[in-house]
Amino acid sequence: MQLSSKIHEAGDFNAVQELYHSHGWTDGLPIVPPTAEAVAACLEWSMLPPDQLIGLEPVRERPITAEKLAINAVMAGCLPMHFPVVVAAVTAMLQPEFLLHGATASTGGCAVLLVLNGPIRLELNTNPTFNVLGSSDRATMVIGRALRLILINMLEVRPGEIDRSTLGHPGKISFCLAEDEDDSNWLSLAEQQDIPKELSAVTVMAAGAPRQIMNEWTTEPEEILETFAAEIRANMRHYSIWPGNYAIIIAKQLRDHLDAAGWSKKDVAQRIFERARIHRREWADVGKGAVVRDRGDTVYPAMESPDQLLIIAAGGPAGGFGAVIPPWLGHKSHAVTLPIGACLDCGPPPTL
Amino acid sequence: MTLQVLDPSSEADVALGALAPRLTSLEGKTVGFISNGKEGTKGFFHHAETILREQFGVAEVLLRVKSNYSAPADDYIAAEIPEWDVVISGLGD
Repeated sequence: MQLSSKIHEAGDFNAVQELYHSHGWTDGLPIVPPTAEAVAACLEWSMLPPDQLIGLEPVRERPITAEKLAINAVMAGCLPMHFPVVVAAVTAMLQPEFLLHGATASTGGCAVLLVLNGPIRLELNTNPTFNVLGSSDRATMVIGRALRLILINMLEVRPGEIDRSTLGHPGKISFCLAEDEDDSNWLSLAEQQDIPKELSAVTVMAAGAPRQIMNEWTTEPEEILETFAAEIRANMRHYSIWPGNYAIIIAKQLRDHLDAAGWSKKDVAQRIFERARIHRREWADVGKGAVVRDRGDTVYPAMESPDQLLIIAAGGPAGGFGAVIPPWLGHKSHAVTLPIGACLDCGPPPTL
Repeated sequence: MTLQVLDPSSEADVALGALAPRLTSLEGKTVGFISNGKEGTKGFFHHAETILREQFGVAEVLLRVKSNYSAPADDYIAAEIPEWDVVISGLGD
């Protein structure tokens, strides 16, 4: 396989680390040396030629080639079997509605949340249960990290360069999870986007840090969901009032209560949509009175419609916990779901 | 043993826009402001307009505000730029 990237030479493994750190090519953690053999293995697994154009970065029109994606994926620790997920995720991030440049450059400091659905979750031995938002398994850890290294190295999304985040959050190291489809009666996130269950899929969302909730003292769906809605309302007061894609993660214990009561994801989304809204005047309660102006009585919903809520079944079996993952900034960026290694309703391939 | 490893950067030779030739004077010129629309831009551009008119003799100042402060300027704004002598783009952060 003919690769075209510049070749660097280093004396040993440690020298590779120093070489890459010194160029600003890492996230601060050690990387796997991207040898030609390892990169070619990723490309061969995905049946992609090195110069395959995955897409163009929409603002600066940077070509995103398969070879460069593979180099960064190897560095992040990806095995060849992980690489198709990386390709699909980057393809999703390049869709105009994701607003990649804004989401990665903004002072708001969001990360790219990546959710896996379909058979690939099992093929990659993901763990959608214990510690799902932490280091739950190898596959989600390295795939999430690959996206960050790709942003850093291919689009200069480094702190202080393109990345102007005031704070950022730990999800910017890796922010990937699989949905627990095998222990859920609900439609998966991908199925809700009309992707057949037999296909694997990725969903990307420009996402703030997760906000954990707890309610172990009821089995009533309305009460459980009120806790989630309250956390969303808190985000609207303390961070941003604008509506957009929120994600909620519902762990097994609370999911069982909802399921036992016959609530589907659609029912959950409708309830949250109705309850997650605030008056603009509430800003005055949290020190933002200056921007209430004459619109204090205006009601702002957290989502423009119930289907903007991404509901993810995941988390360990015990504990009445869940999480709210807020959008970067309202509807400026939209979550995107794409199948992995398949094309539904394909348009022509991008050209340089 | 020497390791041979690959460059992860884009290495893309993408042509970037070049700065326009500098003007020797702003006297009688038209200046366009492209604002990202954030709160902090309001005072900034108001003050900048005053300075340009009073101290530099600028004839006309046009303010255009992007519809999305996190995205590039709207097409209709970009289409106006050739009619201006100077463009000042400002962020409100």
